[in-house]
Amino acid sequence: MRAPALRALGLLSGAGPSGPEVDARPVLSLGRPPHRDDHRRRATRECLLALAAVEAMLEDGKAGPATIAGERTALLYATAAAYAASNRGFIEGSSGGIHFAYTAPAVVPAEVAIEFGLTGPYTIVLGGPPATLRAIWQAAAWLDAGVCDRALVLAVEIFEECADLYARAPRLTARPLVEAAGCLWLERGRGRLALDTRRGGEPRGRPEEDGAMFGCGPIAALDRWRRGPAPGPLELSGAWRGETARLVWYEDS
Amino acid sequence: MRPPERIAITAAGVVTPIGQDVEAFWSSLVTGTSGVSPIERFPVADLRVGRGGEIKKLTRIKAWNRVPECRATRLLISAADELVGQAGLRPLPMDPARVAVVVGTALGGVEEGEKALGGDRARRRLRDALYDAPAHHLARWLGATGAAITVSTACASGATALALGADLLRHGEADAVVAGGYDILCRFVMRGFDALRSLTRDVVRPFDRRRSGLLLGEAAALVLLLRERDAGPARLGTLLGYGSASDAVHIAAPDPAGHGLARAIRAALDQAGIAPADLDFVSAHGTGTPVNDRVETAALKRALGARAHEIPMNSIKPSMGHTMGAAATLEALMCLLASRHGLIPPTLHLEEPDPDCDLDYVPGSVRAARPRISLSTSLGFGGCNAALVLEGAT
Repeated sequence: MRAPALRALGLLSGAGPSGPEVDARPVLSLGRPPHRDDHRRRATRECLLALAAVEAMLEDGKAGPATIAGERTALLYATAAAYAASNRGFIEGSSGGIHFAYTAPAVVPAEVAIEFGLTGPYTIVLGGPPATLRAIWQAAAWLDAGVCDRALVLAVEIFEECADLYARAPRLTARPLVEAAGCLWLERGRGRLALDTRRGGEPRGRPEEDGAMFGCGPIAALDRWRRGPAPGPLELSGAWRGETARLVWYEDS
Repeated sequence: MRPPERIAITAAGVVTPIGQDVEAFWSSLVTGTSGVSPIERFPVADLRVGRGGEIKKLTRIKAWNRVPECRATRLLISAADELVGQAGLRPLPMDPARVAVVVGTALGGVEEGEKALGGDRARRRLRDALYDAPAHHLARWLGATGAAITVSTACASGATALALGADLLRHGEADAVVAGGYDILCRFVMRGFDALRSLTRDVVRPFDRRRSGLLLGEAAALVLLLRERDAGPARLGTLLGYGSASDAVHIAAPDPAGHGLARAIRAALDQAGIAPADLDFVSAHGTGTPVNDRVETAALKRALGARAHEIPMNSIKPSMGHTMGAAATLEALMCLLASRHGLIPPTLHLEEPDPDCDLDYVPGSVRAARPRISLSTSLGFGGCNAALVLEGAT
């Protein structure tokens, strides 16, 4: 499949620019971005972080919101667990219908679509790094087929609200848990893209360098790569629940 | 745009409140059997509405050896058991690494999260609370080692899963894809829809002027997708096209003008390379809420023009409630079965048409017709709209 070209990337990470601290706290939080208007007063933290990631991407691409608005922009969202906080809030609280709506993973990209006027194709893939690699692959497929002119691949992961639950299952994930929100702006490229996903076997690729960022891991890896690209094709890999995925991106070859 | 490679749908498996295999599901649809009943599996006394399409007992599998207790997983595996039997997939007749699983869900294993937060400290509960857990369990049960993908475009998830599965085949990433959707009835979702005041105390009456809301149901539905050139002549039908579009209007309500759904329909027709005149049947989302049915009618008119008035369409949600992640796959399957049997199941409880909903919704009783090309529409939270175009194997 034809590889997409990376036009811009926005990334917010609880690890900060220099990576996670060695004496890591269990969760490196991103906090709650301030909401800018009354419309967003109910929006959950994961939604606000998604909006902030898209804004960071626009800033990186030196573009205004109008550039991405409309039906020729696809939106693909990946997360492993960003809905967990809202689900917990709803299960434990006495909150009503609006809060229930925010338990749906679909509401995070919906807030982005509303804010930036994105009315094109969309999809939402749930899982860790393989889900984000799948979203990049799907974006490439849509760009290649002419379904859209640009594709935004958004990933958000938050952990703070469920930190005690993750602590109950320490062997399930690496530490520290690093909150992150990232967004890629992809356009049609000239290279080649190959995704290999399978269950079982040994995880391939580099170990986690940023703590456990779940679905945001590949975006952080891409961000590192573009800051100091190594020779040869870009390889993004990740493992999740016994599944390993490796995306090889022969960009503009 | 050149239509992409056609994808054959060669086998199916379902578990629903109106039947725990494809034959029973179809039979109940054409005879107007209802699977809606008082919910018994969890407390509902504090809710305004305590009825839904609950599956009282999973009957297909007798021994759940090594299958987690998670109900969502068990629904999926019940449906897979029928699929495997139909398609001869046990043992897998191909390299397991070339078999992928793509399932859609609105809720995943959320009930496991409810249990974990309720005091059950088993580690498995937490692992299974993540929405992608049932897909991985299904892949393990099938012995498939290719990609195991979970999509969650709310109540359009079952359509999204089929589309992503088709793309895996078209791009040579897999040689067979088990795709579909599932969701269970649990307290979490009943409380949520109760709080939204979306549930009706009446029966579900899509497109009826007295309609007052939806009821929820639980189900799982899976199909086997193969590239057309790899499939034999025996098949249920073909997936011709898919389209999706965001409303970008509201997080929980559809665009009142139906623009998003109309865009999704047009995109699906474009991908299929067909015109509205080629359509023989529409399986509507048809939840029975006042807003949905009006919006959907407007969107169908916008996308199909005058042809919208000429095509029969139905909603099967009155039979078993809105099965969320499973709904779009079940409805796609119903389109193919309608083609096979030459019958269109009726929209139950549609007795007094709403003047705003003025299309042919097949009220009353089953209609003799053999639709070759069908459109299936879905809407979901977050302004998710999806449409599938299918061709039955007549």
